[in-house]
Amino acid sequence: MDLFASMVQGFGVALQPINLLYCFIGVFIGTLVGVLPGIGPVSAMSLLLPVTLSGSPEAGIIMMAGIYYGSMYGGSTTSILVNIPGEAASDVTCLDGHEMAKRGRAGAALGMAALASFAAGTFAIVALMLVAPALARVAVAFGPPEYFSLMVLGLTILSFLSQGSMAKSLLMASFGVLLGLIGIDQITAQARMTFDRLELLDGIGLVPIVMGLFGVAEILSNLERELKREVITARIGGLWPSLADWAACKWPIMRGTVLGFFLGILPGGGAVISSFASYALERKMSGTPERFGKGAIEGVAGPEAANNAAAGGAFIPLMTLGIPPNVVMALLLGAFVIHGLQPGPLLMTQNPALFWGVVASMYIGNAMLLVLNMPLIGMWVQVLKLPYRVLFPLILMFCIVGVFASGNAVFDVFVMVVFGVLGYLMRKFGYEPAPLVLAFVLGPMLENNLRKSLILSHGEFMIFLERPISAACLVLAAIALLAPLVPNFARRREKLATDQT
Amino acid sequence: MIRNSELWGGLFWLAIGAFVIWAGRDMGLGKLNDPGPGFAFYWIGILMSALSLCVIAYAILTGGPTLGSLWEGTRWGKVLLVVALLLVYGVGFERIGFIPCTLALLLVLMWFVDPVDWRLSIVIAVVATFGVWAAITKWLKIQLPAGLLAGVLG
Repeated sequence: MDLFASMVQGFGVALQPINLLYCFIGVFIGTLVGVLPGIGPVSAMSLLLPVTLSGSPEAGIIMMAGIYYGSMYGGSTTSILVNIPGEAASDVTCLDGHEMAKRGRAGAALGMAALASFAAGTFAIVALMLVAPALARVAVAFGPPEYFSLMVLGLTILSFLSQGSMAKSLLMASFGVLLGLIGIDQITAQARMTFDRLELLDGIGLVPIVMGLFGVAEILSNLERELKREVITARIGGLWPSLADWAACKWPIMRGTVLGFFLGILPGGGAVISSFASYALERKMSGTPERFGKGAIEGVAGPEAANNAAAGGAFIPLMTLGIPPNVVMALLLGAFVIHGLQPGPLLMTQNPALFWGVVASMYIGNAMLLVLNMPLIGMWVQVLKLPYRVLFPLILMFCIVGVFASGNAVFDVFVMVVFGVLGYLMRKFGYEPAPLVLAFVLGPMLENNLRKSLILSHGEFMIFLERPISAACLVLAAIALLAPLVPNFARRREKLATDQT
Repeated sequence: MIRNSELWGGLFWLAIGAFVIWAGRDMGLGKLNDPGPGFAFYWIGILMSALSLCVIAYAILTGGPTLGSLWEGTRWGKVLLVVALLLVYGVGFERIGFIPCTLALLLVLMWFVDPVDWRLSIVIAVVATFGVWAAITKWLKIQLPAGLLAGVLG
């Protein structure tokens, strides 16, 4: 009954005209950035972070959340029609989706991607609604050692799941923590690594770093090679999948949904890894695995369901523990913070309208996405035809404006350029930007909880092992760290990294 | 060996790690029961140095692509040009103003970096610049530097 009353309250908030408008803007922009290669949800959300200031916290968070799950829908369109993923989580959809398109079944692939996304997205919201309150009750008992160990676990898992060298990913996570600590020390008020620059006293902004590493670096990488795009538009055909398609896809959708949801909750996990895991699972479970990569519709349905379910699941650690499990959620945390809100176990009791309003808006947003993706597919195809040489100057302009608007300082524009060059070089040298950004956000919390724990324990590190939740997190982190040393695990991890590449 | 890009990458991060260790010590490590402001920096520096040494050791043992091969067959000149343009844009942003700077940036990008038909580029540059300026200043009420146009824009 409590749950029912909370949802009624949530729909009361989500159905307010202004919140409906923000929800629509969010899912529309999300679909757009999902469709457009070269700009993803991370760049779009950092760009629009300052925009959330102009409305209520509910409206801002609803819009930001809409961009995230909206981009999961839109990404599949580009993968299927152009064979270039609109965003990373749709990488795997290229394999069979584009093959289907080449064989004249683009309509069925697009339709199945949208319907699987809708089913998985809806499941994830129901599960979020049921799991989040229970987890929040447990999370109230968390102290500094538990928070510290959970964040260590999140960063370790993210490094473990990153492409390529784990040492490089951990190096980036360490560098991210370092960047996050620049500025005034929260306890002693001493300036740290500010190099006598007044602009650095408050630390480096999240938006310039994200826009540099993901926006500018992506443009620089795309510019150095000729992007050839061939949009398949001739035979999109009917979007509603046939009965045979449904029969083939019902179990992949269900498996992808459950797998994606749980991988989404995992700190460090997320939509990208869940779509690859779902594809691998479906190929393994199929009686005809040789069809995969040659236009098997299950290879579209499973991963699309998984990445949308993961997008829903990712809200759980943020909303209940206040810990973002991935970069996108780190940006959402930024949106909470600029409105003076702290997501965590008390969010549901202190701000029930916000929490349940966001959850309810996700139901509405999912329905909006189905409408945007099914009948309006022709419009998204037109967007895809926009040449990159027209697109990239505009993206650069939006990056500059977004960064300037976030802090009203030209210094931030220079920070963005520096991180753009760094991000470009990192791609060249095989270093992942995602662990850096997540660690940057978690850095101050990590240090704060470490210092508090040591003060509480009078300098005894055993405090992290004496408390069961903290010890369990550290043991899991140690397993993730040591696993690559076991040859069998190392081979599997390398294979996953190669698949992702 | 000397041209191995992995080795140079590792050495770069090792230098950063060593600097962070020094900076952490300089800030003050404090005691274990009362960690100082440099405590976390010091340990992060050690972690970064250790991980860099792993990267360097791996590069020495298994090799890696040469520095030159990373840019082989790429249009790296365009990358340099865009970075230079962004830096010039940043320098002129407050003095010259958002509208003239952005118009110039968009036109240069569409004329010289990846050419677009000049008539189309002018339309895109003008519509995008004034559209964004109006949206940001009128709708979001965020001030953008007026620069040379301060008298005209108010």
